[in-house]
Amino acid sequence: MVMACRVINKRRHVGLQQLSSFAETGRTFLGPVKSSKFVIDEECHESVLISSTVRLLESLDLTSAVGQLLNEAVQAQNNTYRTGTSTLLCLVGAWSSAAEECLHLGVPISLIVSVMSEGLNSCIEEIVSLQVPIQNVFDCIDNTKTFSGLETLNVSLYPFLQIPSDTGLMQKKHDLKDVASQSLVIYSLPGRPVKSPKLFGPQAKVEADKNTSQTPQTLGNSLLADTHCRRSVLTHSRHFSRADNNQRISKRDGFLEQHSAATLKTYRCNDLLELEVGLSHGDDSSMKLVDEAVRLQYQNAGVQQGGRAVPFLFDISGIFTCCLPGLPETLSCVCPGYVTVVSISRTALIEELQKQPIRVVLVEGDLTENYRHLGFNKPANIKTVSESMKVEPDSSEELWTNHVLQVLIKFNVNLVLSQGNVSECLIEKCTHSKRLVVGSVNGSVMQAFAEASGAVQVAYITQVNENCVGSGVCVTFWRSIPFDAVDGTSRMAILLKTEGMNLVTVVLTSPVTAQMQTKEDRFWACAYRLHYALKEQKVLLGGGAVEFLCLSHLQILAEQSLHKGNQDSSGWFHNTSSWLASSLALYRPTVLKCLADGWHRYLSTLLCNTASYSSEFEANTFIQHHLQNAADSGSPSSYILNEYSKRKSGIFNSGISNKLEQIPSVYDIVTPKIEAWRRALDLVLLVLQTDSEIITGLGRTQIKSQDSEGFLFL
Amino acid sequence: MMSRVEAKKPSSCESEPLTSERVRVTLSVLKGVMTSCYGPAGRLKQLHNGRGGSVRTTSQSAALLTGLPVSHPVLKILVASVQNHVSCFSDCGLFTAILCCNLVENVQRIGLPPTTVIKLNKHLLSLCTSYLTSEACGCRIPVDFSCTQILLCLVRSILTSKPACMLTRKEIDHVSTLILRVFLLTIPENAKDRIILGKSVIIPLKGQRVTDSTVLPGILIEIPEVQLMKILPIKKSDSFKVALFCASLSGDLSDTGEGTLVVSYRVSLENAVLDQLLNLGRQLVSDHVDLVMCQKVIHPSLKQFLRTHGVTAIDRVGVALMEPLSKATGTQPIGSLASISPSSYGSVKDLGTAKFGSKRFFHLIPNEATVCSLLLCSRNDTAWDELKLTSQTALHALQLTIREPCVLLGGGCTETHMAAYIRHKTRSEPESILQDSACTQTELQLISEAFCGALESVAGSLEHDGGEMLTDGTYGHFWSVQADSSSVVNWPDLLSRCGCGLHSCRGELGWSFLRSPCPPFSPVTCLPPHEAAGAANNLTLDCFTAKLSGLQVAVETANLILDLSYVIEDKN
Repeated sequence: MVMACRVINKRRHVGLQQLSSFAETGRTFLGPVKSSKFVIDEECHESVLISSTVRLLESLDLTSAVGQLLNEAVQAQNNTYRTGTSTLLCLVGAWSSAAEECLHLGVPISLIVSVMSEGLNSCIEEIVSLQVPIQNVFDCIDNTKTFSGLETLNVSLYPFLQIPSDTGLMQKKHDLKDVASQSLVIYSLPGRPVKSPKLFGPQAKVEADKNTSQTPQTLGNSLLADTHCRRSVLTHSRHFSRADNNQRISKRDGFLEQHSAATLKTYRCNDLLELEVGLSHGDDSSMKLVDEAVRLQYQNAGVQQGGRAVPFLFDISGIFTCCLPGLPETLSCVCPGYVTVVSISRTALIEELQKQPIRVVLVEGDLTENYRHLGFNKPANIKTVSESMKVEPDSSEELWTNHVLQVLIKFNVNLVLSQGNVSECLIEKCTHSKRLVVGSVNGSVMQAFAEASGAVQVAYITQVNENCVGSGVCVTFWRSIPFDAVDGTSRMAILLKTEGMNLVTVVLTSPVTAQMQTKEDRFWACAYRLHYALKEQKVLLGGGAVEFLCLSHLQILAEQSLHKGNQDSSGWFHNTSSWLASSLALYRPTVLKCLADGWHRYLSTLLCNTASYSSEFEANTFIQHHLQNAADSGSPSSYILNEYSKRKSGIFNSGISNKLEQIPSVYDIVTPKIEAWRRALDLVLLVLQTDSEIITGLGRTQIKSQDSEGFLFL
Repeated sequence: MMSRVEAKKPSSCESEPLTSERVRVTLSVLKGVMTSCYGPAGRLKQLHNGRGGSVRTTSQSAALLTGLPVSHPVLKILVASVQNHVSCFSDCGLFTAILCCNLVENVQRIGLPPTTVIKLNKHLLSLCTSYLTSEACGCRIPVDFSCTQILLCLVRSILTSKPACMLTRKEIDHVSTLILRVFLLTIPENAKDRIILGKSVIIPLKGQRVTDSTVLPGILIEIPEVQLMKILPIKKSDSFKVALFCASLSGDLSDTGEGTLVVSYRVSLENAVLDQLLNLGRQLVSDHVDLVMCQKVIHPSLKQFLRTHGVTAIDRVGVALMEPLSKATGTQPIGSLASISPSSYGSVKDLGTAKFGSKRFFHLIPNEATVCSLLLCSRNDTAWDELKLTSQTALHALQLTIREPCVLLGGGCTETHMAAYIRHKTRSEPESILQDSACTQTELQLISEAFCGALESVAGSLEHDGGEMLTDGTYGHFWSVQADSSSVVNWPDLLSRCGCGLHSCRGELGWSFLRSPCPPFSPVTCLPPHEAAGAANNLTLDCFTAKLSGLQVAVETANLILDLSYVIEDKN
């Protein structure tokens, strides 16, 4: 056994380069317009169609240590939040280039680490000002307004930064004037009914009243002379709640501060539809299904609780997807209950069973004779012998099947759901005696049936007693169309449900089997975005707004630290006694600049992907233009908020076609996004600090055969 | 039958192993690996098997050395002693390894006979240990347990020294506080003459933010939501009677031995075992047990039986929780299915459930709360592994501090201070050593220089970004400065604080470069306890016991390696 040790950080940092090249593969997945990829296995000529980062990494060969760490980070993000992986991947690429740039410029590694991580922290604090609170979205939910009303809009093409650049220039001239005239506008989103009363009318007045009645105490800030501002939301703004914000450039001029205070619009979101459109990120068809699912859950909750005293919570664990490849896309729908697929030979049985509610048994494991619960070890050396010739030794399966059937008959059970496999022989017998057995049922579905029907899950059918049996389950056909599944056997979908059951099945159909996975992934992405938005009761302004603010903020910080020198630098460093702490000021502007460049790269990728910018150069010019404006305005966050409102009003005034006036806001979820940033930076910094790879357990010869260059042996 | 025809290979014998080029190179590679990991700015290593196994990013000796196969016996000795030290003291593994390598390297350069070197090294070591343990020691701070400042600094120093944990400053403060709280929770309230510390359990919560980490008294057992639903609701009571099983209750046949067991088809062994289990269940019910926990699996039928009789059953607790559970509940783990002695039962004060992240937990609150759970969160797996190990090290360091209530100055200051002390001692009063070891004054000077150089090199290993290292001529502390600043005359303009953070820069201290010759001086002691406690806000500290042991292990291992004259290997 030999330990090999390879130095990976000599002149070029191999690890960082690997990271950027891995990240490069996923850059087309960023943003609302995603281009799919084919991944082809050269050995077995299989190919998969993918359009998400997670699926991409699943299909790539990431056996190198850095590749594995990347995969681990993406998986962790995906497992925790189910979203934000493309952001993560793209930022990993952008920041690993940024870190490498710092290395080229001779910045000590420890300083890159501490300045970058504090720089990102500062960004995360800064973007609080772009948070939009979500309030009572379920208060005004009504079924006349559904997602389909907005379906025609193509939200994806209008992220924040894509205001036609001529309007941007034009507006710049009127900046101060606009500021004055708009200073009292409350930008409550549903309160934007000016031109679209049909969609957003009813709540506007109510909301405005609510705003005025709130008086938070946190605003002791004397700068906020303008009491006309609706403060309730401003408490969320770091911009006003911070007493000594000496890091802000705007402080150099009292006027600027006041000006920005006055222009700050109060964004809020209290309309479910508005929120969903904002979070759909261009995937209307998936979000439409999410919308239907939420409404169904809402109705269910209303039915269950009678009144609506308990606030409704969107429960994502109560949503289940059923993929039916081969059916036309238009059949995708949302159904209350559980939709699953059974063999078409069961038609008669279903017809029989759908007449009345039936009783159900839930089985945790397989429903086969040989199944034993987890942790049970069957000894191999036991031989069963029969003493008389009458009993055939192979009848044990039949004995077992008969026994199961007896139990089912005894408790009058017509439906058995099993989490695992079911013995074919048992299925046959049950079908004959008008009993339906369904295998491979998802755990959360079992849970939902247990809660709604009163059944208790058992491991063995012998455990069944009266208390374990649930009742009141209805079986029907989902649609009476059979379809040919991949394996050629004809199958059909059935629907099982119980009164008060907290389960909604989203049926996803696609004529192209290869797209099924993508469709399912996209549905879940939308569902989880909405889930986190509702859970956190806040969203961020999306479409690149937050990233733009980070970029602008870091540039300002970098400039400030260039001028200010060594004043507050020691607070940024762990180890205050090292010389690194005292030379922090020297390197800080450089590192912050590089970190900002990472954001820049991210934004230009985003813009290029939305297809309205043909070249990276054009995108960069566009970003540069707005950066300049933001810096000139003195407060980037108010500049962005201003642009947001202008985008609407500006487009109104310039008389562009009627359709454009309905452009809704694009939103992003807060914590998952920020966590993706942190994860990306953590990974980059982890790799940056790594100087060698230690490979254990490989023989000298094995490494020789690969590339022995740079290996040291112990 | 084939018989073995291969002839036995002769054993190989290598004389003077240390003189071989191969040993020298591999030792220096190992030293390079250890040195580059040292300290808060240390570089990380990716540890993996090159075949797609999991990747561990680390800079800790414990992680680096386990499973690190080294080929030469000299390296094996070194690795084994460091591992042994780490298994007893957790902290200061890298210090030990680097110091040992330095000593071997420095002494080899001198070329004195090993016996003389070993004898002198021993004397120098005893000088160090008696200085460190004496009241006059200038690099030691007493710990006052009524004040948390010093303890927090110790924990913070340990966390800071492992960059692969990927903690920001705020997160370090948060985790330090948690670790200190865990430590305090494990101290029994009314200790008599002997303190028996309680247990703490670290529970992983990967994927969450570090600041979501928390400490709870009692024990948390992770259980799937499905199972939780079956357990609830828990009835209210003042005390719950607990039975804890280490034997499997899954109903499988315990070891049937070799050979084949022939059973009649009318006999069902499974049912027989299940009957036995249900009998056990009946006894538990009649003994009024409220909670049954099992290390392994409980048969679903037994679980169902217990549930219908109002007994909560939790299985698959895992071996790691057995000791803490037994301690927290006062139970004797039950190892057989035969009748249970009533003395095996224990009790808990309260039961509940908790949810953290996406995980559900069953929460046991014991009567005597010296058992607690630390829920440790981290964004990614590799950082979590490092954070867990570091937290355990920090906790261990705190426990060792009870035994020896003092800490050493960290950040390289103890090493340079000790070096200054040894230099001064061997110059000013060499007589006792010379008498004892029968060597010349020159030999003593050479070896003491090698010894002090090795210590100072350890301190110097803290620097990874090309900075210059200095030591002052008053306290003998360690200072660092940006490279290429030798032309600067006025040091105070560049220096801020010494390595441990105790002294700030004053003009009269008199600096010199670390590896340059300087006149020996007696380092001044400047540690009045009250002042130390006050200024202790941002000190870098080391665990006293661990460092002292590390020093001893390093010197003794170096002596052992220097003493090797033959390596005989059986090649078969």
